[in-house]
Amino acid sequence: MGQSTTLSFANPAHPDYPAESGRPAQSRYDAIIVGGGHNGLICAAYLARAGRRVLVLEKRPVLGGAAVSEEVYPGFVYSVCSYVVSLLRPHIIRDLELPKHGLEIIPLDCAFSPLPNGDSLARWADGQRTYREVARFSRKDADRLREFSLEMTRLCRFAKGIIDHPAPDPTSMRPRELAGLLRMGAAMRDADRATRYQNLKLLTMSAADFLDQWFESDVLKAPMSVSGIIGTFLGVRSPGTAYVLLHHYFGEIDGAFRAWGFAKGGTGMISMACARAARARGVEIRVNAGVEQIELDADGTATGVVLQNGDVIKAKVVVSAVDPRRTFFGLVGEQHLDSEFVAQIRRYKLRGSSGKVNLALDRFPDFACRPGQGPHVQGDIAIAPSVAYLERAYDQAKYGDFSERPFINVVFPSLVDPSVAPPGKHVMSCFVQYAPYDIKEGPERWPERREAFGDAVIDTLAEYCPTLKDSILHRQVLTPWDLEQEFGLTEGNIFHGELSVEQLLFLRPAAGWSRYQTPIANLWMCASGTHPGGGIMGSPGELAAKTMLRAGAL
Amino acid sequence: MVAPPHRPAMPVQTPFHPRTSALCSSLFWKEWAGYHAVRSYDTCHEREYHAIRHAAGLIDVTPLYKYDVTGPDAAALLSRVMVRNIARLKTRQVTYCCWCDDAGKVMDDGTVWKLGKHRYRVTAAEPTYSWLLESARGLDVRVEDITDRLAALALQGPRARDIVVAAIEPEGRSLAELKFFRLARGTVRGPRGAHPVIVTRTGYTGDLGYELWVDREHALDLWDAVFEAGRPHGIWPAGIDALDVTRVEAGFIMNGVDYFSAHHCLLETRKSTPYELGLGWTVDLERAPFIGQAALKRERARGSSWALAGVVYDWDAYEELHARFGLPPQVPSGACRTGVPIYGTLGAARRQIGYATTTAWSPLLKQYLGLATLEARHASVGARVDVEVTVEYRRHRIPATIVETPFYNPARKRA
Amino acid sequence: MTTTPDIIVIGAGHNGLACAATLARAGLSVLVLEARAQIGGLAGAFEFHPGYRAAGVLHDTTRVRPGLIDSLALEHHGLRLRAGRPDLLALGDGEGPALRLAGDPAAAAAAIATRSDRDARAYLEYRALLRRVGPALTSFFDQPPIDLIDAGGGDLVALARLAVKLRGLGAHDMMELLRVAPMCVGDFLDEHFETDALKAALALPAVSSTFAGPRSPGTSANLLLWEAVAERGVEGGGPALILALEKAARAYGAQIRTGQRVSKLLLDDAGRVEGVAVEGGEDLRAPIVASSLDPKTSLLELVPLGALPRELERAALNYRARGTVGHVLLALDRPVRFTGAREAQDVAFARTGGHLLELERAFDAVKYGRISETPILDIHVPTVERPNLAPRGRSVLSILVYHAPGELSGGWTADAEQTLGERVLGVLEPHVDDLRASIVAQLVRSPDALAREYGIAGGHLHHGEHALDQLLVRPAPGCTRYRTPIPGLVLCGGGTHPGGGLTCAPGYQAAGAITRGR
Repeated sequence: MGQSTTLSFANPAHPDYPAESGRPAQSRYDAIIVGGGHNGLICAAYLARAGRRVLVLEKRPVLGGAAVSEEVYPGFVYSVCSYVVSLLRPHIIRDLELPKHGLEIIPLDCAFSPLPNGDSLARWADGQRTYREVARFSRKDADRLREFSLEMTRLCRFAKGIIDHPAPDPTSMRPRELAGLLRMGAAMRDADRATRYQNLKLLTMSAADFLDQWFESDVLKAPMSVSGIIGTFLGVRSPGTAYVLLHHYFGEIDGAFRAWGFAKGGTGMISMACARAARARGVEIRVNAGVEQIELDADGTATGVVLQNGDVIKAKVVVSAVDPRRTFFGLVGEQHLDSEFVAQIRRYKLRGSSGKVNLALDRFPDFACRPGQGPHVQGDIAIAPSVAYLERAYDQAKYGDFSERPFINVVFPSLVDPSVAPPGKHVMSCFVQYAPYDIKEGPERWPERREAFGDAVIDTLAEYCPTLKDSILHRQVLTPWDLEQEFGLTEGNIFHGELSVEQLLFLRPAAGWSRYQTPIANLWMCASGTHPGGGIMGSPGELAAKTMLRAGAL
Repeated sequence: MVAPPHRPAMPVQTPFHPRTSALCSSLFWKEWAGYHAVRSYDTCHEREYHAIRHAAGLIDVTPLYKYDVTGPDAAALLSRVMVRNIARLKTRQVTYCCWCDDAGKVMDDGTVWKLGKHRYRVTAAEPTYSWLLESARGLDVRVEDITDRLAALALQGPRARDIVVAAIEPEGRSLAELKFFRLARGTVRGPRGAHPVIVTRTGYTGDLGYELWVDREHALDLWDAVFEAGRPHGIWPAGIDALDVTRVEAGFIMNGVDYFSAHHCLLETRKSTPYELGLGWTVDLERAPFIGQAALKRERARGSSWALAGVVYDWDAYEELHARFGLPPQVPSGACRTGVPIYGTLGAARRQIGYATTTAWSPLLKQYLGLATLEARHASVGARVDVEVTVEYRRHRIPATIVETPFYNPARKRA
Repeated sequence: MTTTPDIIVIGAGHNGLACAATLARAGLSVLVLEARAQIGGLAGAFEFHPGYRAAGVLHDTTRVRPGLIDSLALEHHGLRLRAGRPDLLALGDGEGPALRLAGDPAAAAAAIATRSDRDARAYLEYRALLRRVGPALTSFFDQPPIDLIDAGGGDLVALARLAVKLRGLGAHDMMELLRVAPMCVGDFLDEHFETDALKAALALPAVSSTFAGPRSPGTSANLLLWEAVAERGVEGGGPALILALEKAARAYGAQIRTGQRVSKLLLDDAGRVEGVAVEGGEDLRAPIVASSLDPKTSLLELVPLGALPRELERAALNYRARGTVGHVLLALDRPVRFTGAREAQDVAFARTGGHLLELERAFDAVKYGRISETPILDIHVPTVERPNLAPRGRSVLSILVYHAPGELSGGWTADAEQTLGERVLGVLEPHVDDLRASIVAQLVRSPDALAREYGIAGGHLHHGEHALDQLLVRPAPGCTRYRTPIPGLVLCGGGTHPGGGLTCAPGYQAAGAITRGR
């Protein structure tokens, strides 16, 4: 029985699958969404909710883009790319009734970091428990934890104003823009002076420096600091990484308590829920429907798409849910854009920095420091023993190597969700950083380095889990090159572009084009390459849909 | 059940657990600072309450945070942190005080003991280690967290003195002579040997009482000796529900209930100063700089906007209100920590002027009491206010009177 | 001075003197106390080997504020400005000729064109961008700081004025400024240039004052703040600047005493400043004390324990001032001749480094508490402008070494300093003809040694890292406008707005804050 539910979301041939292959039902739509990732599907659902006829086109046989569950090895379902739910906005879950369409999030209870000396640190949802754990390393740090999380909660109120609204444009004098700037200013003004100061520091400092202000223990600081670097080509000592520390505290303030978790059935289930929600609102979804190019008329206005099979489908608007580089250089073509804009998109930095290793395991590999399948391993496990370790991993990547001893974020979805592996067997998902797209041999040589990269990951993990190597039934190694080739993520960037300050807010993806609109009339963007950026947040899709509707674009 | 090593059982057990768990027939426990603490040994805490007020109650207060501060600058550090001038404390003296942040907002309250030259101990409701340590910059002082090393029992009630005298051999003068807020050293003899114990004449009940401090490995000997000595005097184990009622009668505020540590407040308005909490008497303002001094000086000059006050419900009105619904007057069995709005008259209008943070029925005084935070100008003793009472899911207001705290203050407390 | 002065200034470095002279000129009686035997601090000349004098540690005088020069009439007190921005040799990796980056953009572009036409054009564009954004960034330096933490009405007006100024750039430049500022200087330079040695040479100011490499975000802002306000500079460098400031200060009536190490601030019962205690001397009274020492020293060492608000103490402890730069002085028995530019005998400034990644690698080391294997050298040959610093026909080389950590793992032993010196010579050797044969003497100073010699916390030459947060709120909330929560204590050193380096802006601005407040 369990097996068939598994297959319904991993296997597009299953009758329950919310998408099908074959020709679209009509030849004209209000909107065509290019790319069936979570942002594209959410955008489609919001447009359909407003009564628009929407078609979603996905190139791959399965939906979900990078938020996908696939049965790569018989009986084992991998959350192939993206692996935990972090910031999926709670109002989107409510608006689209995602739980009704199959979304179930199992919260992460523990953040566990094994150490090479045989010790380990586990941080729990229960503050007292964490206090006692941290006190083993530093009584002082344990004391300050509560004050720290309060400070972060304060700071979250400021950040929330940013991610739930389109980015204001500081060069504009239109009242709407000024109101946006004022809203950010007001959040700053209403904060007390200590919060204002910390806010400024948070926005500009490195994660390591920011944490140094509070804590002394490397064992605590290292796993805390990694949230600042995930998906970026930056190190924990790079200024600007502190801001992302907030993400851990987000759930506490916006009603999505315990927001970090696994999606039951893997992250693909999020996409499935979005797809079903979209379908329930009348959206038509086609897989195996790669778009060859976006069709423009003589004035350079987008009129529809040309599929890889040559079919032409027309629409009032075309919405791209693929990254900006691919959208403009792949689907539109440089010749249709002015040189200034082309330069901007060329400058837009994608530089993927991470890889993924998915393992099917015959049995659970004990961590030598704390054996067993207890709750400590049922959450998020970070191989991040010290700040210097993380920084060294980054230093190697700067010069074009993958990290020999990388930061690894491990989760065992099978421990909390038995539907993803046969009984007693396990799925181990390892997010690995750093793996620079642009290795010094050249990105196209990644396939030759793939297994060496996988070995480095396994070797690193084996230092903590001595029995790991003997329990591996199957391993899938995804390098940034593979992420690009297979999932269309340019340069393997999981966030459709670096989340560095110069590529955020009104500068994402390009100055003057942060509002989902593009220089091509009737072509819009709705994915992670737009404000507020990457991760399974859903905001770009939602905000793009709302912006289009408000502008009367369709 | 023994927890597997990868997941240490939480909350943890105090060293008295073998005794308290054997006695706790109700299985009413709650978490206190990461420890298991008995709420009431019986399903109703009344007997425990009466033991405290009429005989002696024995309460496990191990979860209190405890720090040793030693070194030539120990007094300087504590004088800098505490609102009280600790430098004036005499050896074997204990003082109650609070400590503030820069803005003069209270972080926590507790006691400071002078154990000897350059040797002090601090008890606190919350972790205070890093605050003490950070305040020690440039000082020759050592701060040690001894929370987990020390076990503590509060022995409270009119017979407490007899029991202490019988259970503990004093190092010097008889423990019968130990004065209010003083400490003494002694020895406790138990089945497993003789162990040093510190006796402080302190407590959280507003009654005659002592607190007994011993290394955790000797905790059971202490418990057994005290219990044995207390048997003829009607000693009874008491949980924190009974303690809660007595502390309200005594007018003692509680961190996290009647006020919130300035460290943990999301809102500025939630923070309080010592003056606003009725702890102005603990502040030694005119002396060398201490944390929060400037702000407290400003507040003193300007006057405080809030005040802590006792309220006593008008019982006749309370009874009558219930009678209207055909009910006898009902009171919660323990102290109630749900905030209750309080209204006052402002010109012609009735307006909320504050709130009670803890309310409790005093079985001894036969009164319904509340600890309230009120706008200072409305907090004068004798003033009439209205308190909100919910009967049959509807909200009502009945009269109450502002009174001085403590509500209950027996002479034996200090005698 | 037998009567009590109006103000005591602690420290006779460039900021202390600028502050003292400005106050004295406004009619106040000022007493300057300098701990060391000579005045000048990091800009002061000193003899490091018989007959050989160093022209201070900090080399770059191009950012001394023109407003200060005018208002103190420094040119009447002997200050001479150079004819133009000084030329700079980009020595590259030592293979092939050096690139002469002339102060004049066109001349520099002509030199660059020998390597790349595209870069020559890009360089002209880059200098033009600096010229355009110059006024907006200069106003950052020359106006009192905007208090972002305790913003009052005046701040909002100032903020609005700044916004207008930014808008005056036009939407394009403004967007560009907002886009570029948070970037790492590596990406910024990669966008414009292709010649590696050029990029390496241009990048140095971006990382010289902070704990960062060219891959660290935010370093572009440092580059712009540095380059867009740079002008001609002072002929004779730091010592000439100090001399003029001293003359001016004395002429306006300020007293300067050396060998007077202030150990503590004296406060009255109300917590107000009433003077200073001098080590081995008597207490000196004054109602206002302006400290040009770094904020960590001023707030944590000078202020009596317990007098500092707790929040500020925490901020001061968290203020980042991790030294990353060593200083090496070489006395040579002949004029310096750079191998890659033997004809350029008139150039006083040079930088090594063939690639941005070399600069990044040099920074990597300090993160782990190590000395860079191949440090990047910022070289000044003071004897080019002032031959009399050395005996006739000989020369002095003053080298700022990037990077050497303030906290070396294992500590700064004599051996470690020798290693530092050796690595510097190793890097320098291919760039200077007959280097080892011509060395008469050398002095190697680690950040730790500089910290002790000059009394600067962490040995950070800019009195605290120029990271974005520490530039916008410098040094901490409550004292961003020179005044501190201790009544009568004013900060006037590089640890205040707009930061360290030989600008004199903090001293000058602090003096303004004092006179306005009186």
